[in-house]
Amino acid sequence: MAEAARHGAPMEAALALERVSSGYGAVSIVKDVSLSVGQGEIVALLGKNGMGKTTLLKTILGMVALRGGAITIGGQALAGLTPARLVALGLGYAPQEQPLFQDLSIRDNLRLAVPSDRMLPAALERLFGHFPFLKDRLAQRAGTLSGGEQKMLILGRALMLRPRLLLIDEISEGVQPSMVARLRGVLQAERAAGVSMLVVEQHVAFALGLADRYAVLKLGEIVDSGPARAPDAQARVIDHLAV
Amino acid sequence: MLLTLDILTTAAILFIVSIGLLAIFGVLKIINFAHGAWLTVGAYCAVVTAKLGLNPWAALPLAFVVGAALGGLAEHFIIRPLYRRPLDAILATWGLGIVVGQLVTLAFGRDVQMTPNLFAGTIAILGVEYSAYRLVALGIALAIGLLFALTIERTRLGLSARAVIMNETLARSLGIDTGRVRLVVFMIGAGLAALAGVLLTPLTSVDPNMGVSWLIGAFMLVMVADASYLALAAACLVFGAAQVLISTFVSPILGSIAIAVLAALVLRISPKGFSRA
Amino acid sequence: MLETLPAAGRIAPPPRRRLAVAAPCVVAGLAAMALWIAPAVLDTFAVNVLTRSMIYAVLAVTVDLLWGFAGILTFGQAAFFGVGAYATAMILTALGATPAGFAAALATAIAAPALLGLVVGWLSFYHRSTPLYASVISLVVPIVVVQLIYAGGESTGSSSGLVGFDVLPLEIAGYFRLAALVLVLVTLVAWILVRSDAGRALVALRDNEARCAYLGLNPRRLQILLTAALAAVAGLAGFLFANASGVVAPENAGFLFGTELVIWVALGGRGTLLGPVLGTIAIDYLAANLSGDLPFLWQLLLGTAFVIIIILLPGGLADLVGRLWRVLPIGRRTRAAPHLVARVAAPEAAGTGVPILKVENLAKAYGALTVLEGIDLEIRAGELVSLVGPNGAGKTTLMRCLSDGTEPFTGAVAIGGTAITGLTPNRIVGLGVGRKFQVASVFESLSVADCLRLARAPHDGLSPVGQAETLGLPQAALDVLRMTGLDHLLTPPTRLLSHGQKQALELAMVVALEPRLILLDEPTAGLTKAERTTIGTVLKALTTGRGIAAVLVEHDLDFVREISSRIVVLHQGRLVLDGTVEAVVGSELVRTIYSGGAHG
Repeated sequence: MAEAARHGAPMEAALALERVSSGYGAVSIVKDVSLSVGQGEIVALLGKNGMGKTTLLKTILGMVALRGGAITIGGQALAGLTPARLVALGLGYAPQEQPLFQDLSIRDNLRLAVPSDRMLPAALERLFGHFPFLKDRLAQRAGTLSGGEQKMLILGRALMLRPRLLLIDEISEGVQPSMVARLRGVLQAERAAGVSMLVVEQHVAFALGLADRYAVLKLGEIVDSGPARAPDAQARVIDHLAV
Repeated sequence: MLLTLDILTTAAILFIVSIGLLAIFGVLKIINFAHGAWLTVGAYCAVVTAKLGLNPWAALPLAFVVGAALGGLAEHFIIRPLYRRPLDAILATWGLGIVVGQLVTLAFGRDVQMTPNLFAGTIAILGVEYSAYRLVALGIALAIGLLFALTIERTRLGLSARAVIMNETLARSLGIDTGRVRLVVFMIGAGLAALAGVLLTPLTSVDPNMGVSWLIGAFMLVMVADASYLALAAACLVFGAAQVLISTFVSPILGSIAIAVLAALVLRISPKGFSRA
Repeated sequence: MLETLPAAGRIAPPPRRRLAVAAPCVVAGLAAMALWIAPAVLDTFAVNVLTRSMIYAVLAVTVDLLWGFAGILTFGQAAFFGVGAYATAMILTALGATPAGFAAALATAIAAPALLGLVVGWLSFYHRSTPLYASVISLVVPIVVVQLIYAGGESTGSSSGLVGFDVLPLEIAGYFRLAALVLVLVTLVAWILVRSDAGRALVALRDNEARCAYLGLNPRRLQILLTAALAAVAGLAGFLFANASGVVAPENAGFLFGTELVIWVALGGRGTLLGPVLGTIAIDYLAANLSGDLPFLWQLLLGTAFVIIIILLPGGLADLVGRLWRVLPIGRRTRAAPHLVARVAAPEAAGTGVPILKVENLAKAYGALTVLEGIDLEIRAGELVSLVGPNGAGKTTLMRCLSDGTEPFTGAVAIGGTAITGLTPNRIVGLGVGRKFQVASVFESLSVADCLRLARAPHDGLSPVGQAETLGLPQAALDVLRMTGLDHLLTPPTRLLSHGQKQALELAMVVALEPRLILLDEPTAGLTKAERTTIGTVLKALTTGRGIAAVLVEHDLDFVREISSRIVVLHQGRLVLDGTVEAVVGSELVRTIYSGGAHG
């Protein structure tokens, strides 16, 4: 928000979804979702498995076809853009399912996320700033990292190209508390630098502690949303998630 | 001794013939039936080079360029529309093979063409007189293998290709233009096949259908290798040895089907073939 | 094509005498008569060429059955044809034109390819084999056969083939009529077969092999038997060819001929029988007339047409004709819906006290990654057990281990006391297990009634000649159909159904198997509220009403709470909680797991 004030003009939302629907084959997964992420804002998208969270991210990336509605990044419509174009537009993505090439070295995994090898040294410097432990382990196979270390690699990879908008899918999943704290620290630092984020999570405390606003996705629709710091936010979200 | 040389050089020639097919199989996940046609096109590049009075070795770069260009066209107009119908893509490449074969026939006639020997004579090695060209072919196979390995392991293109082989969805989500990777790999595969066609000219007669006889052996080797060039090298050695041994000690005719039959059995017993090693 | 068909307002038409067999017989009779007269008006060249064309068309029918209907792209029919032709030529060379000679030649020309077909089928089809692998094997077969012919020396004539053996004492016109008769008969049988209930099984194999296996059909056996049977037909064509032409050559068995057959079928229109027959005759006849003058151009045109047809018109020329035909205002008969009747379920063996499902110390790992560990679980008749837990907890993996014994796992899984280790899915279905997949797994090109009939095939069999007028289903399956309105939607192909209707259909198919245990993986994913309620009601009726046991993977905990009799919680590959709905719902542990707190 600070940046908007500095420019003195109303800024376009970093990400805006307008009545978005998408799905696979005959199945509609995301139904009529409207959602926006302001500049420098973090929005947590919560919901149980199978509710359409990952599909929503993939729809933004153009990996799942848009059935209806519109998506814009910083005012630019995304329809028809390839993931390669989106990366160039400043989009970073930390996927959840099969997020790494397990048999490739860490270095090669990182190389694949930058458009040319010339940009690699600077990108790596940025990565080591967040996760110094990766510096000595570039030659190691990505699959040999522990679960938490892999999550750091995935997040670090998404940050290498200085994205302006980050899409993050369950970065805290299966990670022990101390490492979750480190991930949170990195994300907060990025937000302070003006990066906007849409964070898909199931870890309620982590998500609400990090985000400015939350939204709950249920059966492909947003059923609840509000400021993350509201006193009743946690209770409301858990009611949606638990039995 | 002669037998060892025969095995090594046979494996080398098999490797040269199959490596282009392997590249395409790995990245595009289709068996390219037009592979035989690319071999033929390459061999006719040698014919053209000879007719123009150029150095016979000039046919190698010419064939690679012609093969890659034709491959690019084929990928764009035939393979890409059939991306979601792999079995149909295979059939379409077979149709393409027929078309290319007939175009070659129309241009050059059906007769066997003469090509200048790339490397004549014999060399005395380890106490036997051996065909110099087959030894050169062994060297060339090693060079191609090395270049291929370097491309795969050391270049950005190779890395992208491996990424597409391992997990195309992830590669795409990271911003890799997977369509371009497919196109470039198909072009390289077709170029390598045409190159192999030139290298076959001293060993076999050149006619419009020459490629077909090499097709099945190459298919089977690639199926067994399952997209790994190291496994392909191993498969060429093992099945090449089987072919030479059976041809020498049992019957040349059985030797000629040894690769196909043994590879089929290997795949039946261990569907992942040699790639697990 | 995605529109949803309204469920109400349609009533199954009254039963009508099926013309499944009658109509093709009439057409075949007319065709046979026309072909009988044809030699009188055609010149000798045409009669000669068309005799060969019709023999090739017999092969095209076999290729179409394999590729167009059963989805097996094969180049191997040439090899079986060649074996039949060579067997005929070799036996006739040895025995001469004696009755015993012809009988032996005919018998061998059919039996030898059939045996070879069994071997090829065994090689090509096994649990988890791929269609690509089967195609590649079908390429190898003709090459091997040709090399063996080369190796045969005098007995096979090596590269020059065999000529001058005695043949059937027929005139040119006689051979024409014989070939025509065989072609008409083979096409007629194929036509009746593909229109019959058994013929639907071929299409089912092509559409969805996994579903076939999970209906208790053995896809491997069907594919192998089909390969052998059609190899025999190809051998018969070889017998005819050897007699009619008086010469056999290695290229008759070669892989180039095998690919030509595929091209003819593709151009004619795969999956239409008549398209390939007419296409083959037309192309071969044209080739004989044109290739003399412009041999290369002809091949070039054919190749180009083939590529274009594959890309733009995968249905071939028959598809084009079909589209034109449909534009014409001619009343078309849709297949009538069969009558639904209740089938009395086989009486359940009296409760033996053995649990229906017993899992002991089950563990599974992918490489170094442990997915399941120390799972113990017992499920008895009438229980509806929900399996819940966050992503990656191992729920779907557990379901897979319960329904496919070839999955590598340790520990023991027993269905009704029988250990399932090593059993393929179709054998586990035979033990009384039905599995419903997460994404509705039905046969997209078949009608709802055909899907259900296939589900009954292990119990009732399938008619190879006609379409049964009734469809007997257990009452429970009828209930599913009635509650979801599918009983009024028996005739449209399932690809026109909505997502929810497909889920309901798959459930009905699984119930029609009369299982003792149903495994359901997220049966309500992507369904509307109303559809979820219906599925919930159906499941409750099945378990409490009919004593079927059910295991349900589900993310929607509201749904789980409403219908379960027990809830099992999986977390990070371990079974952390197993108790009543109240106990689990009130559990602090579950709240923690679902709010993301319980890690490590």
